[in-house]
Amino acid sequence: MTQRVYYCAKCLGQLGLLWGISLAGRFLAETLALPVPGNVLGVLLLFGLLCLGVVKLEQVAATADFLLRHLVFFFIPIAVGLMDWGATFAQYGLMLLVAVVISSVLPFFAVGYLSLLLQRRR
Amino acid sequence: MDGLALGVVFVVLTVAVYLACRRLAFWVNHPLLNVVAVSAGVIIAVLVACDLPYAAYAPAREAMTTLLGPATVALAVPLYRHRRLLRSHGLAILASVGAGALLAMVSAGLAASLGGLPREVVVSILPKGVSIPFAVEISRIYDGIPALSAAFVVATGTLGSLFGAWLLNRSGIDHPVARGLALGTVSHAQGTATALLEGEEQGAMAGLAMILAGVFTAGFAPLVVRLLGLL
Repeated sequence: MTQRVYYCAKCLGQLGLLWGISLAGRFLAETLALPVPGNVLGVLLLFGLLCLGVVKLEQVAATADFLLRHLVFFFIPIAVGLMDWGATFAQYGLMLLVAVVISSVLPFFAVGYLSLLLQRRR
Repeated sequence: MDGLALGVVFVVLTVAVYLACRRLAFWVNHPLLNVVAVSAGVIIAVLVACDLPYAAYAPAREAMTTLLGPATVALAVPLYRHRRLLRSHGLAILASVGAGALLAMVSAGLAASLGGLPREVVVSILPKGVSIPFAVEISRIYDGIPALSAAFVVATGTLGSLFGAWLLNRSGIDHPVARGLALGTVSHAQGTATALLEGEEQGAMAGLAMILAGVFTAGFAPLVVRLLGLL
Protein backbone atom coordinates (compact mmCIF):
# COMPACT_ATOMS: atom_id res chain seq x y z
CA MET A 1 0.00 0.00 0.00
CA THR A 2 2.64 2.52 1.03
CA GLN A 3 4.65 1.36 -1.96
CA ARG A 4 1.73 2.11 -4.20
CA VAL A 5 1.30 5.61 -2.75
CA TYR A 6 5.01 6.20 -3.18
CA TYR A 7 4.85 5.05 -6.81
CA CYS A 8 1.90 7.34 -7.57
CA ALA A 9 3.65 10.30 -5.95
CA LYS A 10 6.77 9.56 -7.99
CA CYS A 11 4.79 9.42 -11.23
CA LEU A 12 3.00 12.68 -10.41
CA GLY A 13 6.36 14.31 -9.76
CA GLN A 14 7.64 13.03 -13.11
CA LEU A 15 4.51 14.34 -14.81
CA GLY A 16 5.17 17.72 -13.24
CA LEU A 17 8.69 17.72 -14.61
CA LEU A 18 7.53 16.78 -18.13
CA TRP A 19 4.81 19.39 -17.93
CA GLY A 20 7.26 22.06 -16.85
CA ILE A 21 9.55 21.26 -19.78
CA SER A 22 6.59 21.32 -22.15
CA LEU A 23 5.57 24.76 -20.83
CA ALA A 24 9.17 25.96 -21.10
CA GLY A 25 9.23 24.86 -24.77
CA ARG A 26 5.97 26.69 -25.42
CA PHE A 27 7.20 29.79 -23.61
CA LEU A 28 10.48 29.80 -25.58
CA ALA A 29 8.66 29.42 -28.91
CA GLU A 30 6.36 32.32 -28.04
CA THR A 31 8.85 34.77 -26.58
CA LEU A 32 11.38 34.20 -29.36
CA ALA A 33 8.51 34.20 -31.92
CA LEU A 34 9.93 31.04 -33.49
CA PRO A 35 7.88 29.45 -36.29
CA VAL A 36 8.43 26.07 -34.60
CA PRO A 37 5.90 24.34 -32.34
CA GLY A 38 6.61 24.64 -28.62
CA ASN A 39 6.34 20.87 -28.21
CA VAL A 40 9.17 20.31 -30.70
CA LEU A 41 11.34 22.64 -28.62
CA GLY A 42 10.20 20.75 -25.53
CA VAL A 43 11.45 17.45 -26.99
CA LEU A 44 14.81 18.99 -27.88
CA LEU A 45 14.99 20.61 -24.44
CA LEU A 46 14.43 17.34 -22.58
CA PHE A 47 16.81 15.48 -24.92
CA GLY A 48 19.48 18.10 -24.20
CA LEU A 49 18.88 17.92 -20.43
CA LEU A 50 19.17 14.11 -20.55
CA CYS A 51 22.40 14.28 -22.57
CA LEU A 52 23.88 16.83 -20.18
CA GLY A 53 22.86 14.68 -17.22
CA VAL A 54 20.83 17.49 -15.65
CA VAL A 55 17.79 15.21 -15.82
CA LYS A 56 18.38 11.50 -15.20
CA LEU A 57 16.52 8.92 -17.27
CA GLU A 58 14.92 7.35 -14.18
CA GLN A 59 13.55 10.78 -13.19
CA VAL A 60 11.18 10.74 -16.19
CA ALA A 61 11.14 7.18 -17.55
CA ALA A 62 8.11 5.68 -15.71
CA THR A 63 5.70 8.47 -16.62
CA ALA A 64 7.19 9.00 -20.08
CA ASP A 65 6.72 5.33 -20.94
CA PHE A 66 3.14 5.39 -19.68
CA LEU A 67 2.27 8.52 -21.70
CA LEU A 68 3.94 7.16 -24.84
CA ARG A 69 2.14 3.83 -24.52
CA HIS A 70 -1.15 5.73 -24.60
CA LEU A 71 -0.06 8.55 -26.92
CA VAL A 72 -2.68 7.64 -29.51
CA PHE A 73 -5.47 8.29 -27.00
CA PHE A 74 -4.91 12.04 -27.25
CA PHE A 75 -5.52 11.99 -30.99
CA ILE A 76 -8.99 10.51 -30.73
CA PRO A 77 -10.70 13.72 -29.48
CA ILE A 78 -8.81 15.70 -32.13
CA ALA A 79 -9.88 13.29 -34.88
CA VAL A 80 -13.52 13.56 -33.79
CA GLY A 81 -13.25 17.13 -35.10
CA LEU A 82 -13.38 15.58 -38.56
CA MET A 83 -17.15 15.32 -38.31
CA ASP A 84 -17.34 18.97 -39.38
CA TRP A 85 -15.26 18.26 -42.49
CA GLY A 86 -17.25 15.50 -44.15
CA ALA A 87 -18.16 17.82 -47.05
CA THR A 88 -14.51 18.62 -47.78
CA PHE A 89 -13.71 14.92 -48.02
CA ALA A 90 -16.70 14.29 -50.24
CA GLN A 91 -15.71 17.16 -52.51
CA TYR A 92 -11.95 16.61 -52.73
CA GLY A 93 -11.62 12.97 -51.66
CA LEU A 94 -9.87 11.65 -54.77
CA MET A 95 -7.45 14.56 -54.99
CA LEU A 96 -6.59 14.20 -51.31
CA LEU A 97 -5.94 10.49 -51.75
CA VAL A 98 -3.65 11.17 -54.72
CA ALA A 99 -1.72 13.78 -52.73
CA VAL A 100 -1.32 11.45 -49.75
CA VAL A 101 -0.15 8.53 -51.91
CA ILE A 102 2.35 10.58 -53.94
CA SER A 103 3.81 12.23 -50.87
CA SER A 104 4.15 8.89 -49.11
CA VAL A 105 5.75 6.88 -51.91
CA LEU A 106 8.31 9.47 -53.09
CA PRO A 107 9.96 10.18 -49.70
CA PHE A 108 9.72 6.49 -48.86
CA PHE A 109 12.09 5.61 -51.70
CA ALA A 110 14.19 8.72 -51.12
CA VAL A 111 14.84 7.78 -47.48
CA GLY A 112 15.37 4.11 -48.29
CA TYR A 113 17.85 4.57 -51.13
CA LEU A 114 19.66 7.53 -49.59
CA SER A 115 20.30 5.74 -46.30
CA LEU A 116 21.28 2.57 -48.19
CA LEU A 117 23.80 4.61 -50.18
CA LEU A 118 25.22 6.33 -47.10
CA GLN A 119 25.41 3.01 -45.25
CA ARG A 120 27.39 1.35 -48.03
CA ARG A 121 29.85 4.23 -48.32
CA ARG A 122 30.88 3.85 -44.72
CA MET B 1 -28.03 17.86 -19.31
CA ASP B 2 -25.73 20.72 -18.35
CA GLY B 3 -22.33 21.29 -19.90
CA LEU B 4 -20.20 19.78 -17.16
CA ALA B 5 -22.19 16.55 -16.94
CA LEU B 6 -22.11 16.22 -20.72
CA GLY B 7 -18.35 16.78 -20.67
CA VAL B 8 -17.88 14.01 -18.11
CA VAL B 9 -20.02 11.69 -20.23
CA PHE B 10 -17.86 12.43 -23.30
CA VAL B 11 -14.62 11.83 -21.40
CA VAL B 12 -15.91 8.50 -20.06
CA LEU B 13 -17.18 7.57 -23.53
CA THR B 14 -13.85 8.42 -25.19
CA VAL B 15 -11.78 6.49 -22.64
CA ALA B 16 -14.11 3.47 -22.86
CA VAL B 17 -14.07 3.44 -26.68
CA TYR B 18 -10.27 3.82 -26.69
CA LEU B 19 -9.75 0.91 -24.29
CA ALA B 20 -12.15 -1.29 -26.25
CA CYS B 21 -10.49 -0.48 -29.60
CA ARG B 22 -7.06 -1.04 -28.10
CA ARG B 23 -8.06 -4.49 -26.88
CA LEU B 24 -9.64 -5.27 -30.25
CA ALA B 25 -6.44 -4.16 -32.03
CA PHE B 26 -4.42 -6.55 -29.86
CA TRP B 27 -6.67 -9.44 -30.85
CA VAL B 28 -7.05 -8.60 -34.53
CA ASN B 29 -3.65 -7.35 -35.56
CA HIS B 30 -4.47 -5.63 -38.84
CA PRO B 31 -3.17 -2.26 -40.13
CA LEU B 32 -6.66 -1.17 -41.18
CA LEU B 33 -7.82 -1.51 -37.59
CA ASN B 34 -6.33 1.83 -36.58
CA VAL B 35 -7.20 2.71 -32.99
CA VAL B 36 -7.50 6.46 -33.67
CA ALA B 37 -9.61 6.07 -36.82
CA VAL B 38 -11.93 3.41 -35.42
CA SER B 39 -12.41 5.16 -32.05
CA ALA B 40 -13.08 8.53 -33.66
CA GLY B 41 -15.50 6.85 -36.06
CA VAL B 42 -17.44 5.27 -33.20
CA ILE B 43 -17.62 8.56 -31.26
CA ILE B 44 -18.71 10.51 -34.35
CA ALA B 45 -21.41 7.90 -34.93
CA VAL B 46 -22.64 8.31 -31.34
CA LEU B 47 -22.71 12.12 -31.67
CA VAL B 48 -24.57 11.93 -34.96
CA ALA B 49 -27.03 9.40 -33.54
CA CYS B 50 -27.72 11.71 -30.57
CA ASP B 51 -28.06 14.65 -32.96
CA LEU B 52 -25.23 16.52 -31.21
CA PRO B 53 -22.89 18.94 -33.04
CA TYR B 54 -19.10 18.84 -32.66
CA ALA B 55 -19.33 22.03 -30.59
CA ALA B 56 -20.96 19.99 -27.82
CA TYR B 57 -17.94 17.68 -27.70
CA ALA B 58 -15.25 20.38 -27.99
CA PRO B 59 -14.98 21.31 -24.25
CA ALA B 60 -14.34 17.64 -23.41
CA ARG B 61 -11.63 17.60 -26.09
CA GLU B 62 -9.87 20.49 -24.35
CA ALA B 63 -9.88 18.55 -21.05
CA MET B 64 -8.58 15.37 -22.65
CA THR B 65 -5.74 16.93 -24.63
CA THR B 66 -4.20 18.87 -21.70
CA LEU B 67 -1.69 16.04 -21.22
CA LEU B 68 -0.65 16.07 -24.88
CA GLY B 69 2.12 18.58 -24.14
CA PRO B 70 3.99 16.47 -21.55
CA ALA B 71 3.22 13.31 -23.57
CA THR B 72 4.93 14.79 -26.63
CA VAL B 73 7.92 15.92 -24.60
CA ALA B 74 8.22 12.29 -23.43
CA LEU B 75 9.31 11.41 -26.99
CA ALA B 76 12.76 12.64 -25.95
CA VAL B 77 13.08 9.50 -23.82
CA PRO B 78 13.25 6.95 -26.70
CA LEU B 79 15.41 9.41 -28.61
CA TYR B 80 17.83 9.43 -25.67
CA ARG B 81 17.69 5.66 -25.26
CA HIS B 82 18.79 5.24 -28.88
CA ARG B 83 21.42 7.98 -28.83
CA ARG B 84 24.08 5.37 -29.59
CA LEU B 85 22.44 4.55 -32.93
CA LEU B 86 22.26 8.25 -33.61
CA ARG B 87 25.98 8.53 -33.02
CA SER B 88 27.01 5.45 -35.06
CA HIS B 89 24.77 6.13 -38.08
CA GLY B 90 24.50 9.88 -37.63
CA LEU B 91 25.04 11.07 -41.20
CA ALA B 92 22.87 8.41 -42.83
CA ILE B 93 20.06 9.08 -40.36
CA LEU B 94 20.08 12.88 -40.41
CA ALA B 95 20.59 13.25 -44.17
CA SER B 96 18.00 10.72 -45.26
CA VAL B 97 15.36 11.63 -42.69
CA GLY B 98 15.85 15.34 -43.42
CA ALA B 99 15.57 14.82 -47.17
CA GLY B 100 12.57 12.55 -46.71
CA ALA B 101 10.74 14.99 -44.44
CA LEU B 102 11.32 17.85 -46.88
CA LEU B 103 10.26 15.79 -49.91
CA ALA B 104 7.13 14.55 -48.11
CA MET B 105 6.03 18.12 -47.39
CA VAL B 106 6.86 19.54 -50.81
CA SER B 107 5.24 16.69 -52.77
CA ALA B 108 2.11 16.72 -50.59
CA GLY B 109 1.81 20.50 -50.85
CA LEU B 110 2.44 20.58 -54.61
CA ALA B 111 -0.01 17.77 -55.36
CA ALA B 112 -2.67 19.39 -53.18
CA SER B 113 -2.26 22.89 -54.64
CA LEU B 114 -2.12 21.59 -58.22
CA GLY B 115 -5.28 19.66 -57.41
CA GLY B 116 -6.99 22.97 -56.66
CA LEU B 117 -7.56 22.41 -52.95
CA PRO B 118 -8.28 25.42 -50.73
CA ARG B 119 -5.30 26.96 -48.94
CA GLU B 120 -6.26 25.75 -45.46
CA VAL B 121 -6.50 22.16 -46.73
CA VAL B 122 -3.11 22.41 -48.49
CA VAL B 123 -1.51 23.67 -45.27
CA SER B 124 -3.18 20.89 -43.31
CA ILE B 125 -1.75 18.21 -45.58
CA LEU B 126 1.88 19.44 -45.33
CA PRO B 127 2.78 17.77 -41.99
CA LYS B 128 0.94 14.51 -42.78
CA GLY B 129 4.07 12.38 -42.43
CA VAL B 130 4.83 13.15 -38.79
CA SER B 131 3.23 11.95 -35.60
CA ILE B 132 0.05 13.77 -34.65
CA PRO B 133 1.24 16.04 -31.80
CA PHE B 134 3.74 17.68 -34.16
CA ALA B 135 1.38 17.68 -37.14
CA VAL B 136 -1.42 19.31 -35.19
CA GLU B 137 0.83 22.09 -33.88
CA ILE B 138 2.45 22.76 -37.26
CA SER B 139 -0.98 22.90 -38.86
CA ARG B 140 -2.18 25.36 -36.23
CA ILE B 141 0.80 27.69 -36.69
CA TYR B 142 -0.03 28.15 -40.40
CA ASP B 143 -3.81 28.38 -39.93
CA GLY B 144 -4.48 24.88 -41.14
CA ILE B 145 -7.15 22.62 -39.68
CA PRO B 146 -5.75 20.35 -36.93
CA ALA B 147 -8.48 17.72 -37.32
CA LEU B 148 -7.79 17.45 -41.07
CA SER B 149 -4.06 17.14 -40.40
CA ALA B 150 -4.75 14.35 -37.92
CA ALA B 151 -6.82 12.55 -40.56
CA PHE B 152 -4.02 12.83 -43.15
CA VAL B 153 -1.53 11.55 -40.59
CA VAL B 154 -3.67 8.50 -39.87
CA ALA B 155 -4.20 7.85 -43.60
CA THR B 156 -0.46 8.09 -44.27
CA GLY B 157 0.39 5.80 -41.37
CA THR B 158 -2.14 3.21 -42.49
CA LEU B 159 -0.82 3.34 -46.05
CA GLY B 160 2.72 2.85 -44.78
CA SER B 161 1.88 -0.09 -42.56
CA LEU B 162 -0.18 -1.74 -45.31
CA PHE B 163 2.31 -1.39 -48.19
CA GLY B 164 5.60 -0.31 -46.59
CA ALA B 165 7.30 -3.67 -46.16
CA TRP B 166 6.03 -4.84 -49.56
CA LEU B 167 7.40 -1.71 -51.30
CA LEU B 168 10.77 -2.17 -49.59
CA ASN B 169 10.95 -5.82 -50.67
CA ARG B 170 10.06 -4.95 -54.28
CA SER B 171 12.70 -2.24 -54.48
CA GLY B 172 15.60 -4.13 -52.94
CA ILE B 173 15.98 -1.91 -49.89
CA ASP B 174 17.25 -4.70 -47.68
CA HIS B 175 19.42 -3.07 -45.01
CA PRO B 176 17.66 -3.03 -41.62
CA VAL B 177 18.79 0.56 -40.98
CA ALA B 178 17.41 1.76 -44.33
CA ARG B 179 14.14 -0.14 -43.87
CA GLY B 180 13.57 1.26 -40.39
CA LEU B 181 14.38 4.82 -41.44
CA ALA B 182 12.05 4.71 -44.45
CA LEU B 183 9.16 3.30 -42.43
CA GLY B 184 9.58 5.74 -39.53
CA THR B 185 10.12 8.87 -41.61
CA VAL B 186 7.15 8.34 -43.89
CA SER B 187 4.58 6.70 -41.66
CA HIS B 188 5.55 7.70 -38.10
CA ALA B 189 4.13 5.56 -35.25
CA GLN B 190 2.31 3.09 -37.47
CA GLY B 191 5.40 2.60 -39.60
CA THR B 192 7.42 2.14 -36.42
CA ALA B 193 5.04 -0.57 -35.26
CA THR B 194 5.49 -2.32 -38.63
CA ALA B 195 9.27 -1.96 -38.40
CA LEU B 196 9.24 -3.44 -34.88
CA LEU B 197 7.59 -6.55 -36.30
CA GLU B 198 10.60 -6.98 -38.60
CA GLY B 199 13.17 -6.65 -35.83
CA GLU B 200 14.70 -4.70 -33.00
CA GLU B 201 17.09 -2.66 -35.14
CA GLN B 202 14.41 -1.72 -37.69
CA GLY B 203 12.10 -0.70 -34.86
CA ALA B 204 14.70 1.45 -33.07
CA MET B 205 15.63 3.17 -36.35
CA ALA B 206 11.98 3.81 -37.20
CA GLY B 207 11.28 5.28 -33.77
CA LEU B 208 14.25 7.55 -34.07
CA ALA B 209 13.30 8.54 -37.64
CA MET B 210 9.74 9.32 -36.63
CA ILE B 211 10.81 11.79 -33.93
CA LEU B 212 13.52 13.37 -36.09
CA ALA B 213 11.06 13.69 -38.98
CA GLY B 214 8.81 15.65 -36.63
CA VAL B 215 11.64 17.99 -35.71
CA PHE B 216 12.77 18.41 -39.33
CA THR B 217 9.24 18.97 -40.58
CA ALA B 218 8.68 21.69 -37.99
CA GLY B 219 12.00 23.27 -39.00
CA PHE B 220 11.35 23.13 -42.76
CA ALA B 221 7.70 24.18 -42.56
CA PRO B 222 8.29 27.97 -42.77
CA LEU B 223 10.42 27.45 -45.87
CA VAL B 224 7.95 25.14 -47.59
CA VAL B 225 4.97 27.36 -46.79
CA ARG B 226 6.78 30.30 -48.39
CA LEU B 227 7.99 28.19 -51.33
CA LEU B 228 4.45 27.09 -52.15
CA GLY B 229 3.17 30.64 -51.79
CA LEU B 230 0.81 29.76 -48.98
CA LEU B 231 1.60 32.72 -46.73
